[in-house]
Amino acid sequence: MSAIIHVFEPTAPYGRKEMAACRALDGLRGKVVGFIDNAKPNFNHMVDDLAELLVSRYGVKKTVKCTKRSPGIPAPEDILADVARQCDLVITGSGD
Amino acid sequence: MCSTEFATLGRAQARALGCADLPITVVPHPFGLNARAKVRALAEICVQDIEKLVCAAAESGVAHTVVSEHTGLTVQVDDSAEAVNLLFCERQWTDGLPIVPPTAERVDRMMKFTPRAPDDVVGIVAPGFGAATVRRIAINAVMAGCHPEYLPVLIAAVEAVTAPEFNLQAIQVTTNPAAVWLIVNGPVARRLGMNAGVNCLGQGNWANATLGRALRLVMQNIGRAFPGEMDRATQGHPGKYMFCCAENEADSPWEPLHVERGFRAEQSAVTVVGAEGAINMNTHSKSAEEIVRVVAETMPRPPSNDYTLGGDPWVVFCPEHAQILRAAGLSKVDVKRQLWEQSKMVAGRMAAVDLQRTRIARLAELGAVMPDTMLPISPSPDRIGILVAGGPGTHSIYIPSFADTSRATTREVIWAG
Repeated sequence: MSAIIHVFEPTAPYGRKEMAACRALDGLRGKVVGFIDNAKPNFNHMVDDLAELLVSRYGVKKTVKCTKRSPGIPAPEDILADVARQCDLVITGSGD
Repeated sequence: MCSTEFATLGRAQARALGCADLPITVVPHPFGLNARAKVRALAEICVQDIEKLVCAAAESGVAHTVVSEHTGLTVQVDDSAEAVNLLFCERQWTDGLPIVPPTAERVDRMMKFTPRAPDDVVGIVAPGFGAATVRRIAINAVMAGCHPEYLPVLIAAVEAVTAPEFNLQAIQVTTNPAAVWLIVNGPVARRLGMNAGVNCLGQGNWANATLGRALRLVMQNIGRAFPGEMDRATQGHPGKYMFCCAENEADSPWEPLHVERGFRAEQSAVTVVGAEGAINMNTHSKSAEEIVRVVAETMPRPPSNDYTLGGDPWVVFCPEHAQILRAAGLSKVDVKRQLWEQSKMVAGRMAAVDLQRTRIARLAELGAVMPDTMLPISPSPDRIGILVAGGPGTHSIYIPSFADTSRATTREVIWAG
């Protein structure tokens, strides 16, 4: 029977800090919904359609639309701060 | 909102950011190819998902992501190469090649070569946002086969890749074939016996091979960019195993890269580049004017990130070409200027959808881009990188960049004592 050795795990835990869980909304009526368009093809159309549907069918008060310059660049801090200040809900996209 | 192929990334990313129950609505992949009417039909479905998801999320104020900053967990395994490699393979902790077992003895021996404490955090590695402590870096360096004295180079490389301007997040999760190219300058390259000459980007040199490999293992294991999960590369490229060389300072007619970037020649430094695969430029010309022209004519390609986004492309001149250019009186600045001017591409060569992406991405830089606009490869000539590397021969190489989403970053190498 061979001997046992101890080796280090090479990974690190996920996450950089503890954060609060998502808050549930009590409905969409009267809420402000933000969009951060990731600049991938078609997502601008999806943003336009969702914005129209959320307002016309779910009573959303207002939508706020921002577009990143390219998918690989983080949204600028001032835009993130602005949508966080204005919006009850923010939607963004990932993938092609 | 994620397309189906990216839902795994979305969920892992949410977890890494401490919000594991972030609601995600999923649309069929590939979403970007849908006709306009299909997008509308998907929106009709998604809006219902959104209403359900955001009105049924977890209870307010509950913190649920607990990060344990452990100092290094160990696992028990049979003392055999086969058992250790089976364990690391099963847990997806390798790059697919055998590793050296990271025992406490080996890791401790390696950490003696840095003045930094084992639990010092060198950087936070996206996309998992894992803390790259000195110990964790050393663990991965041992696995890669690094000699202990290599550790300070790897620590500097981790500092560089985790700098905000490098945008490691994008490189780690992208579908693009983007690797991290590690360039070493200064006395450390000679001290470690690094290869800057013949086959310097190929196999055969222990320091080049294991340092490049170790940086990949750090990015994969500490950053949790596991292939097929958060690493979404469509094909990747071989440089994702290792992509590392030193500059051939001895045969270069110009100042070394790290001097160009603000360091003294007697300092040692690493530079990291978000790099695609290399393209060979074999010219036997002895004319500086011709060499610049044929290199510049190699760079324009319609489906190029550099032209779409405005890039940071690199040219690695072989010493023979570099010396011809210098003998004609050209400095690095001169060469960059000429390449920038001569590599402009007419925007109409792009596919229509890519031209539209270019219009959005480069609006602030270029104004309205029209089909007859001559696109520069980068926002300014100084954004073209030049390195002198390799041995005898008439081969320079063009290395397209991951474009302006990532800027090349340089950090000094600090030794113990």
